[in-house]
Amino acid sequence: MTSVGQQLIIAAIPVLPALVFVVLALFGRYLGESAQYVAIFGVATSLVFSAFSLYFVIRAQTPIDFAVNWIDLGPGGSFPMGIYVDGLAAVMLVVVCFVSLMIQLYSGAFMQDDSRFAWYYAVLNLFTASMLGLVVAPSFIELYVFWELVGLCSYLLIGHWFEKPSAAKAAQKAFIVTRIGDAALFVGIIMFWREAGTTSFQGITEAAQAGFIGGSLFTTAVILVFVGAIGKSAQFPLHVWLPDAMEGPTPVSALIHAATMVAAGVYLVARTYDIFVQSPAAMLVVAYIGGFTALMAATMALTKKDIKRVVAYSTVSQLGYMMLALGIGSYTAGIFHLYNHAFFKALLFLGAGSIIYAINSYNLTEMGGLRRRMPITFWTMVVAGLSLAGIFPLSGFWSKDAILAATYEQHFYVLYGMVLLTVFLTAFYIFRAIFMAFTGEPRSEGARNATESPGIMTGPMVLLALLSVVSGWVGIPALFGAPEGGFFERIVQPSALANETLALEGHEFSIALAIVSTIVALLGVGLAYLLYVREPERATSLARRFAPVYNFLDDGWYFDALYERVFVRPAMALGRATNVFDRRAIGGLVSGVGRGTGGIGERLRRLQTGGAQNYALFILLSVLVIGVIVGAQYTVLVIGLIALITLVTVAVGARL
Amino acid sequence: MPPQLQPYVQQGLDVVNQTIPLEGYLIVAAIMFAIGAWGALIRRNAVVVFMCIELMINAVNLTLVGFSDYLPGADGAGAGYAVLVIAVAAAEVAVGLAIVLAVYRSRKTVNVDEINLMKW
Repeated sequence: MTSVGQQLIIAAIPVLPALVFVVLALFGRYLGESAQYVAIFGVATSLVFSAFSLYFVIRAQTPIDFAVNWIDLGPGGSFPMGIYVDGLAAVMLVVVCFVSLMIQLYSGAFMQDDSRFAWYYAVLNLFTASMLGLVVAPSFIELYVFWELVGLCSYLLIGHWFEKPSAAKAAQKAFIVTRIGDAALFVGIIMFWREAGTTSFQGITEAAQAGFIGGSLFTTAVILVFVGAIGKSAQFPLHVWLPDAMEGPTPVSALIHAATMVAAGVYLVARTYDIFVQSPAAMLVVAYIGGFTALMAATMALTKKDIKRVVAYSTVSQLGYMMLALGIGSYTAGIFHLYNHAFFKALLFLGAGSIIYAINSYNLTEMGGLRRRMPITFWTMVVAGLSLAGIFPLSGFWSKDAILAATYEQHFYVLYGMVLLTVFLTAFYIFRAIFMAFTGEPRSEGARNATESPGIMTGPMVLLALLSVVSGWVGIPALFGAPEGGFFERIVQPSALANETLALEGHEFSIALAIVSTIVALLGVGLAYLLYVREPERATSLARRFAPVYNFLDDGWYFDALYERVFVRPAMALGRATNVFDRRAIGGLVSGVGRGTGGIGERLRRLQTGGAQNYALFILLSVLVIGVIVGAQYTVLVIGLIALITLVTVAVGARL
Repeated sequence: MPPQLQPYVQQGLDVVNQTIPLEGYLIVAAIMFAIGAWGALIRRNAVVVFMCIELMINAVNLTLVGFSDYLPGADGAGAGYAVLVIAVAAAEVAVGLAIVLAVYRSRKTVNVDEINLMKW
């Protein structure tokens, strides 16, 4: 049972950044660049509170769970708003708050002199608040609310420099592509609600266990939820928005890739894991989509010239690992990777941002020789790169190896081959980028005059570099004699239900597999060294010789072109056709009715002569007509009478 | 009176003393009404138009009186209505002539077809 104080502290975690958003949105223009202090204070407090919540959860060994009624439909059910914090959520809270804090510190220098500085910080905080809200949500409906907010914030931030047409386009692309996933997720939620009568994760799990939902309907709903996760986490086939999202400010990319947005998809699968495990088909879909995305995105990253895009594709690839881990039932390893990835990926982006800040270019071919000019950036980037590549004993090694080992031990050999190849490619592409940026001769004027970024930017980078090394140590298996062996596993573990359903056999940490993956990663680093430091001409000549392959990878497997042909153009054509139909048919009809009425009025106004006698004549004639109609049965009589009266009248009146 | 004329006179007296049928009243009233309507519609002089309106009102009065005599259950109510109509007509003439005078003062004419400010 949780005390009121604990409830308040946990509720304050998402509320504080939201409050900061309100303050900055209302008074941002008066605060100017002081907005960052407000924001940093809010997030720092949230970070302290999330550390408390992690402590509560570890100490109590039970999730913190409370709710208030939000919408009560009586017999139609109710939708409570609540908070559910277990180990998984607590770890996520800490990661999100920490990464967000680092990025907000860093942004103070990076976004200096931006015309919408306070607004940038406001949205950054709303983004953080939405993600924190999403993490603590105990039900699909509450999660969906924050899910949409996350999407909105990503749209606002990617399009922060909306004066640039490419940024405005990228923002729309991100929004529309993730919207496809969101729609699927919503349909999935409705299906669950329809069948189980509740949207809480707990309730749906129990309903599925009791057999209220099952069969193909259940599998469909689970897969629809997963499609939502695909959209947010940029998995194949909805991965196309993430590389374009690089148009936003670099710290935003770091936030999107490390803590919020893309992590939301993986988190959704983890949060609803008890539901997923009950559908083996859906689990297989998750595993294979994840494995395929990991490999595909890694190949796309090989040839990119934009340093941020290299890192962006690596995110897609790493998220693939996490999905794969969740799909094969290796829950703890997947979340462990999510947690480690947050640190080194944020660092990679902040490092890239530091280079961009120094030389004002994204292009790797305009960099070179930055090692001596930007030593802190170089060394932190190398640490992050090694961690990403999974080199012993950095944090990335522990989680990546856990995923690889689980894939092998559960006999998914095809997937194991794919991820092993991905490990090689990952090490290659990230060190290709690092070598191109930092070694050799400067290839542009900007690179020649580059200087190290200010301390407010390098500070968070060094802190993140430290974490990129040590964050994984909480998950070191007991084999190495660490006193708290498998500490992470004890905080974040699948529920008893998931364990029972999956019925996985436990495995000891395998040194052989670890050595294999490390050697493969080192081979990747070595190849990058060979091609980009020792013989840079070799790389260009290889690119020329295999031009079709090179272009295929550089254009991201032509996915954008394909979607352009298949979806975008027909949709645009439909839009144009609808527009023409609306203007011609509907608009013509409406204005035609208007014009017709006007024309009739124009003709009829002649009847309004203003002469009282004319009106009287009309009245008389009308009465006569009415008389004829009413007296239809005595037609002859009435007509005769009227004729007589008229005749006499004429006869007499002519004389008058 | 020569005696040979006696039967003819008697015959004439019989005709006069005969009760006039209801149709007689109605036909006379209809003709009066038609004349009034005709005049009200075609005459230009506002005073004549008024006279024609009076004619129509009196045609209606005539039918009222006629019906009050011929309908057994009417109990003479029609005559009462006729008195009421006469009173209203008098008031109407008073107002109407005042309007005609006012129009004449401002426009120097009483021709109804020239008074058409309410035109479109």
